Amino acid sequence: MSIVKRPKVESQWYLPAILSGMALTFRKLVQNLLHKDRLQTLNYPEEKYEYSPRFKGNHVLTVKKDGSLRCTACMLCATNCPAQCITIKAAQHEDPSVEKYPISYEIDILRCVFCGFCEEACPVDAIRMGPEWQTPAISGSNFQNDIQQLAYRANLKGGVQSRLDDQERHKAGI
Amino acid sequence: MPKCTINGKAIEVKPGTTVIQAFKAAGVEIAHYCWHPGLSVAGVCRLCMVQIEGQAKLQIGCNTLVTEGMVVNNTSEPVKEAVKWGLDFHLINHPLDCPICDQAGECGLQDQYVHFGKYDPEMAMPKQKKHKVVDLGPTIVLDTERCILCSRCVRFTDEVSKTNELGIFNRGDRSEIGTVENKPLDNNYSLNTVDICPVGALTSKDFRFRQRVWYLKEAASVCTGCSTGCNVNVYYNEEGAWRVKPVQNEKVNGYWMCDKGRDIYKFVNKEARLQTAKVGSKDQWRLLEGGQAAKDVGDSLRQVAKTEGADKIALVVTGQYTNEEYDSLLDFFNGTLAVKNVYHWVNNPEDMTGFDGILFRGDRNPNTAGLKARLEKRGLKSDWLDLEKKIKAGAYKYVVVAGPENNSVFPDLESKAKMMSAAPHLVWLTAAKSEAVDSATTATYQIPLKTFIEKDGTYTNHVGLEQKVKRGTTIVAGALTLSEAVSLMSGEELDFSLRPKPLTNLKTNFFTAKRGEL
Repeated sequence: MSIVKRPKVESQWYLPAILSGMALTFRKLVQNLLHKDRLQTLNYPEEKYEYSPRFKGNHVLTVKKDGSLRCTACMLCATNCPAQCITIKAAQHEDPSVEKYPISYEIDILRCVFCGFCEEACPVDAIRMGPEWQTPAISGSNFQNDIQQLAYRANLKGGVQSRLDDQERHKAGI
Repeated sequence: MPKCTINGKAIEVKPGTTVIQAFKAAGVEIAHYCWHPGLSVAGVCRLCMVQIEGQAKLQIGCNTLVTEGMVVNNTSEPVKEAVKWGLDFHLINHPLDCPICDQAGECGLQDQYVHFGKYDPEMAMPKQKKHKVVDLGPTIVLDTERCILCSRCVRFTDEVSKTNELGIFNRGDRSEIGTVENKPLDNNYSLNTVDICPVGALTSKDFRFRQRVWYLKEAASVCTGCSTGCNVNVYYNEEGAWRVKPVQNEKVNGYWMCDKGRDIYKFVNKEARLQTAKVGSKDQWRLLEGGQAAKDVGDSLRQVAKTEGADKIALVVTGQYTNEEYDSLLDFFNGTLAVKNVYHWVNNPEDMTGFDGILFRGDRNPNTAGLKARLEKRGLKSDWLDLEKKIKAGAYKYVVVAGPENNSVFPDLESKAKMMSAAPHLVWLTAAKSEAVDSATTATYQIPLKTFIEKDGTYTNHVGLEQKVKRGTTIVAGALTLSEAVSLMSGEELDFSLRPKPLTNLKTNFFTAKRGEL
């Protein structure tokens, strides 16, 4: 059985609803003018919200001391990624102690769901989720982040250094 | 016939069976590295420990023969303890670089560690450093740190390929697999050592770092590289095929296959394939849908056969197709059109009966035997030289070629294509794109066909053994099987909506698909 709700006659009078809406707006305007500290909104972009340090924003690929990529192209992040947004192409490095490295590492930031699984899967602290979240772009293709963008973009100032160092690891005999 | 009991399961085995073989026969899992059914027994890994009732000490299963009334188990506490400690010793110097290692995902050490591992190493000393990325030869790279010295590869070069390139050098924890100077690991069976390596020490240069194994699916198939017809698994994903590995078949290839056969995945992939039908001649190709091209060809063939007689048509067949395809091809040309001029294109006549003593044969077609049997049955016998003469004399209006699928084994492709393009009309049915056909000067139809991995069928190998292949994946969706092309030629319709579609992994997303348009 379905219940049919017919519009009330009162709702067709319009004016009372409009006036009550205007009253609410006016009341809030006065409240906001009197108590600026209780404002629910920000004056974006002049004011910005401070997120917690655990916030998962755009990805950062970390680098070693010499500035090269920490990533070993093991593809565990790409395997773990539920949105299938990571594409890696591996190649052989000239240095036998490095052996495998990515020649291309791309994250499709529009596919990404910012779950942080890549960060959790990484065995060498090569990928992290950074604090940035304002990354507008004009064209759709600008959201395909490559190594240059992920590891060496201007605001990283030469790259974020990884916690895990190869030389120290080799010395410890791991 | 000795009877024995394995983990409480009574079975009867042949005399001379080892305990580990009896375990395999009973379907009971047992840890092992150095033992391989195709090689001799080394007994170096000490992981296949079993407890035999009546014997005080544990024995290794691979080197102990089954005797009458033997009661064996590998589930008791002492066995588990022994395997656990054995594994721990193997891992003393094994680097745990599984994320970079290509073997991860199909590694014996990983698998066994999950079952029998100790999970709590007690070694306080740092790991022994050894050589990494050692170039052993044109096909193989060795990482001596990962090697657990099971000696399978050494025994393989000793017993199967009989080339003796590999050996174990130094002593104790400095032992390494290696080659002697100026004698690299370079034989036609070298990549089998990669397959039998239980860890990631030996890796194939061709496959190294190109894919992680867990992204690949496998399809059981038959190698089309030569007429031996080795049983193989083709590993593929949505981007195409990536590698080929042998599958055990005692009747055909044992456990092995040759390195040349491992190249068969290359001609299957998109970059080597004819994607759509092409009509025209040199530098003036018009692209067409494969099905439509086959229909057009069929119409004109039937027209020619009707008005000018079937003698105006010649059919050239290579030994690269399945028996079912030959049947439908010959049914149409020989049966319906009554074409008598059917020529068998032999790619390397001088080396046709060659054999290297292990597996590799000079006849580099998978189905020469099947084709010959079918031609004989229909009483079709034409001399190749006759074709050349008749084309030059202008006796043929149409030359239809069921061309090679694997261009690389047809060294005469260019000259033969040039010779055949002297006919007024050339119809070239093929899976592979080739410059030789692209530069044909006559009116040509190129119709894309499917490769062995994309169709069902039967190949007859050199001794007449028929082996079925099943469709694994679809790489070029627009391509036809030879049977489909022939049925379109004979005027039948095909329901294209029922045809298999290529594999896609990525979920389609409207917004990412419309990138740039929004």
